Amino acid sequence: MRNLAVPFLSLTVLASLVGVEAASAAPSAQVASMRRLTQAEYRNSIADIFGKEIEVRGAFEPTIRIAGLQSTSTGVLSVTPVGFESFSSMADSIATQVTAEKYRAKLACKPKSDKAPDDACAGQVLNQYGRMLFRRPLSSDETKNAVKLSNSLAKSQNDFYAGLRYGLASLIQSPNFLFRMETAGPADNKQYALDPYSRATRLSYLMWNSTPDAELLQAAEKGDLNNAAGLGKQVDRLMASPRLDDGMRAFFNDMLELDTFDTVSKDSILYPKWSSGIAASAREETLRTTIDLALHSNGDMRDLMTTRKTFINRNLAADYQLPFAFKGEWMPYEFAADTGRSGVLTQASMLTMFSHPGRSSPTKRGVAVMDIFLCEPTPAPPANVDFSVVNDVNGALKTVRERLMAHATNSTCASCHNHSDPIGLSMEGFDTIGQRRTTENGKQIDLSASIQNKKFEGAEGLGKFLHDNPKYTACIARKVYAYSRGESSEDVAASAFKNANKAFADSGFRMRALLKAMVEDKDFFSAPPPETTKTATKLAAQ
Amino acid sequence: MKIDRRFLLRGTCQGALAVVGMPFLDCFLDSKGKALAATGRPLPTRFNTFFFGLGLTKQLWIPKTGGKQYEMTGQLKPLEPYRAKFNVFSGLRVPLDDNPNYQHWSGAAAAATGISPTKQSEFDSKTIDQQIADVISHGTRFKSVSASAAGDPKQSYSSLGGANALPAEASPLSLYTRLFGPGFQDPTKGDWKPDPQAMIQQSVLSAVAENRKDVMKNLGAADKARMDQYFTSVREAELQMIAQQQRPEIQAKVTIPDAPKEMVCNNALPNLRAVTPIMARLGALALATDQTRVFNLSVSEPGSQIFMPGDSLGYHQSTHEEPIDPVLGFQPRVAQYNVDTMELFAMLLKELDAVPEGDGTVLDHSLVYAFTDQSFAKIHAVDGLPIFVAGGASGRMKSGFHVAGDSSPVSRVGLTIQKAMGVSLDVWGKGSMEIRQPYTDLLA
Repeated sequence: MRNLAVPFLSLTVLASLVGVEAASAAPSAQVASMRRLTQAEYRNSIADIFGKEIEVRGAFEPTIRIAGLQSTSTGVLSVTPVGFESFSSMADSIATQVTAEKYRAKLACKPKSDKAPDDACAGQVLNQYGRMLFRRPLSSDETKNAVKLSNSLAKSQNDFYAGLRYGLASLIQSPNFLFRMETAGPADNKQYALDPYSRATRLSYLMWNSTPDAELLQAAEKGDLNNAAGLGKQVDRLMASPRLDDGMRAFFNDMLELDTFDTVSKDSILYPKWSSGIAASAREETLRTTIDLALHSNGDMRDLMTTRKTFINRNLAADYQLPFAFKGEWMPYEFAADTGRSGVLTQASMLTMFSHPGRSSPTKRGVAVMDIFLCEPTPAPPANVDFSVVNDVNGALKTVRERLMAHATNSTCASCHNHSDPIGLSMEGFDTIGQRRTTENGKQIDLSASIQNKKFEGAEGLGKFLHDNPKYTACIARKVYAYSRGESSEDVAASAFKNANKAFADSGFRMRALLKAMVEDKDFFSAPPPETTKTATKLAAQ
Repeated sequence: MKIDRRFLLRGTCQGALAVVGMPFLDCFLDSKGKALAATGRPLPTRFNTFFFGLGLTKQLWIPKTGGKQYEMTGQLKPLEPYRAKFNVFSGLRVPLDDNPNYQHWSGAAAAATGISPTKQSEFDSKTIDQQIADVISHGTRFKSVSASAAGDPKQSYSSLGGANALPAEASPLSLYTRLFGPGFQDPTKGDWKPDPQAMIQQSVLSAVAENRKDVMKNLGAADKARMDQYFTSVREAELQMIAQQQRPEIQAKVTIPDAPKEMVCNNALPNLRAVTPIMARLGALALATDQTRVFNLSVSEPGSQIFMPGDSLGYHQSTHEEPIDPVLGFQPRVAQYNVDTMELFAMLLKELDAVPEGDGTVLDHSLVYAFTDQSFAKIHAVDGLPIFVAGGASGRMKSGFHVAGDSSPVSRVGLTIQKAMGVSLDVWGKGSMEIRQPYTDLLA
């Protein structure tokens, strides 16, 4: 016995060593990115999987903005206990609705008895929905666990559908649904590349802001997304759908930082007109304008900085001091040439989000324009600065410009303010809720500005400056790229989206051209090789 | 039948009372007069935090003398009614060591963790409320609950570390729904019974947790840590379900009110004045009914965006732009906002003190840690942060003192709090804020 045991033992050790070696040298698969679903992604996915009639009620954990994008934080944040509590009860509520009497006809099968477990039928339903929820087929263990749970609860409750409800709920609160897992395997040149289902996921959330549909999952299953023709066919299909609006709305909502509206308050005494209705309308106005230009009229994205065309409703007409004689909710509108309006820069959204509750802020506006449209973030100001002179409206300095200039003579401050202030000062023709004005404290407002020795006047001048600035269009390309992959826009190398940016320019800055070139680029689905075991251990120990 | 201590004591009070002839009150108070729940277990000591942005004005809040006989200052006036029930700390240092002074962050994070933060908007460890919750929250429905009076779920200074903050309930209605909505079994009612759903949900959660090993494979180190947090959250939800199967032992005589109406929650001061007391009241009721033992309330972010309608500058902007009045020697408008936030703090103390239980009030059986981000916001100074600790921690914390300028690091307050809360630890904080010596004079 003894003699036998020794070689057996060493064999086991050897085998496990080989196993470890193999694992650290070339893991067959590596999760390249793991992104928590945003509220919109979650809602859209549930609607697509179970139908629009399913109600989703509950609180979602907030995201944070990293390098200009909320989407970047989805690759950094996890699920806190409070967030999970909410995910868990939403999962149960969704599963309850799906297994309720009136929904049952939609399910793939009927149990042998309503009052007892039926593993075959439960497995069929769980597999079907599981594949859509996880955006890939379930593993046999995953199916087994969900069926086991359904079985035991169906038994204890004497109710097949109760069991199914809990099995389904376990899938809807699984990390495989709540996180978009993109898995990569070894490809050519020591690079890794996303597996077909992960490709479908990345494409679908970018284009439709939702989970892959049946056809896209099928294309993944057949391996079509791994060749140019098959990929191109699916990309064209996704882009031809009106649902592209949803995807691009989500992107521009993020890029233009429109979520800022969630926490904007205005001074009700100084600006009694302001209301939450105007806030919601202003957000919608900017999205409508952007989507109309980018998708519906296939326009030149540079015009977003200059166009006077917009959409208004009754709320906005009040804010913009325009007559509103129209029956419907929204109508296209074009500002008159002498209004000084210029693209989204002078829409109520941008003007109000980047202001104080009771006054405009050239610095906030300037910093926002640099960050959002030029991808040039401004560092935090030094801690100990005397801003008093900026505030004293009763002193000799009447306008914001005069006060700001006085403060920016300080050389430390000047290095940043010289960048952002000219931009913000040229927008001073509009107050904190986006209304036009020509004077401040009784004095004419000076709207002249100059950046890099280029002189311009007012928001229109700023709009032209940005329109002609290649940094602006490159910034859109950079942010789409970062957004689609959940990366930090500041860490993305310009070479990564070079081809897409060129296609963007060649097309006369059409959004569709940018999107298509980006997702069809040979590197769009590539991933860095996994960390070696050494660095992984080191990181884990930190 | 298994007879445990709890069962025995229940018997003593309800059955043997007549036989032994024990005075009624004594069966609720132990020899030191400490409150006992009806079943004989001491009432748990609860923990609260209160966050207010932008500090106070040095000349106006620091009492001239230390100790108990200090003369009340102008900015502390709103707290006067609770004078005997809180301690105020002045002169605390916040050494940041080699890290930058992250504006409106370093001070707040240091107060919350005892660690000078290495990143803007990230905590370098669990925050103090979570460290305490790990110890005191066993068996409660919610490990902790946070609320933001300004209506922003991100205004939470409760975190498991890193960029993830535990989101705050952003309206009185959402706070109410979480605490007293579906899933709540009212322990003040005679007909309490465990919710059968809780046991079922527990088995769903353990099925979710069963896939852990599978999910963890193929993850890089950073994602592994994130996934770990997910499964920790699943585990906490399981514990929550287990807790729900047992009736909370409470002693307060409270009635759970109807759900509050939808209210406007934002940075406008009149709205904060309306929302804060309602949230504070709901928090106090949650503690009294043992739904949670940790309640965090914030009235602003660091760099408070609070504003009084009609003031086009608002609080934060005023701290930087309002000139120092040459005669007064401070910024008068800022000073007013300082007092306004102290009034909001007083609202929390009022509600906690308004719920009687056992031999005192919820406040007496709690600690409230109030902290902020800056000492002198105009220049983003952190040394000298105004810090308050209110409540008696069920007799374990002495109160009524001004602990004057002894140059201790702010972490010394955090260590003292944890000692009073019964957390077993000898050292708290890191770097120059690492501290081993609590304020022993305050500990009873």
